[in-house]
Amino acid sequence: MSTVSVRYIVDDVDDAQAFYTRHLGFQLDMHPDPAFAMLSRGDLRLVLVSPVPAHHRGGGSRPMPDGTPQRPGGWNRFMLQVPDLEAAAATLRRDGVRFRTDLVTGVGTKQVMIEDPSGNPIELFEPIRAEARLTET
Amino acid sequence: MPTDPLDALRLPPVPIDPRPEFAAALWRRIEAGPGPLDRQTATVRYFVTDLGASVDFYCRLLDFEEELRPSPVFAMLYRGDLRLLLSVPGGEGAVHTLPDGTVPQPGGWNRMTLQVADLAATAEVLRSHQVAFRHDVQSGIGVRTLLVEDPSGNPVELIEPTSGYHERIRP
Repeated sequence: MSTVSVRYIVDDVDDAQAFYTRHLGFQLDMHPDPAFAMLSRGDLRLVLVSPVPAHHRGGGSRPMPDGTPQRPGGWNRFMLQVPDLEAAAATLRRDGVRFRTDLVTGVGTKQVMIEDPSGNPIELFEPIRAEARLTET
Repeated sequence: MPTDPLDALRLPPVPIDPRPEFAAALWRRIEAGPGPLDRQTATVRYFVTDLGASVDFYCRLLDFEEELRPSPVFAMLYRGDLRLLLSVPGGEGAVHTLPDGTVPQPGGWNRMTLQVADLAATAEVLRSHQVAFRHDVQSGIGVRTLLVEDPSGNPVELIEPTSGYHERIRP
């Protein structure tokens, strides 16, 4: 059973779910409301929500009690492991996906950051050290 | 909290770094060569301003385990299926600084969602530790939710399933 998920605030759930399923290998699990969709890719569940009014029955994207609306963007992100980062980046670039960074090499991974249609970051990485690799342990 | 009388009989915990399970798992991975790519543990990166305070927050209050802290600007934590990377932005040669000099910041609204067994109890514990709440416990569809902030102001959503909550069926 999956006990964890990530919630991204998006401007338009239809556009966002199309982006994640078309470009990043997500599967659409449900889209029961214009402001809500649930996707999955491996162990990651991604919940996409667009801002709703305070009285909306779904609670995840209501404004805060002081009226502050929830917005897309920021820097915190989920990460997807890919076997060949150069190839993945080339495909995404060809498909017109926006890049926030070019390929950079960190301590344990090569990585690149792209953006969804609402400007939310997604980090793609290719491990270059064993500790960074995701395996069945 | 009442003292457990058995505490007197227990040996003090001895920190081992790296943990033997991690060392054994790493060894298996090295032996096996490149790992299978079909399984994709969910991984999230948060930017934090104070690594020590953040690791304490996630490990003491939200049941994360510290896996690696190889430098003052990076830590890797686990909580069940979730791997959480904490990065301190900025600094000399920082890998996350954009070419135009833009430095990543904590905050925003995108967040990880952690399931807990008793949301009211969790809320009480967090409140007693002066954790900042963006909103208190509220009801959604199939879940009750709570939105709090880590010490750097990053959002963390806690959920407790209610009746009508359906787990995705996993292949």
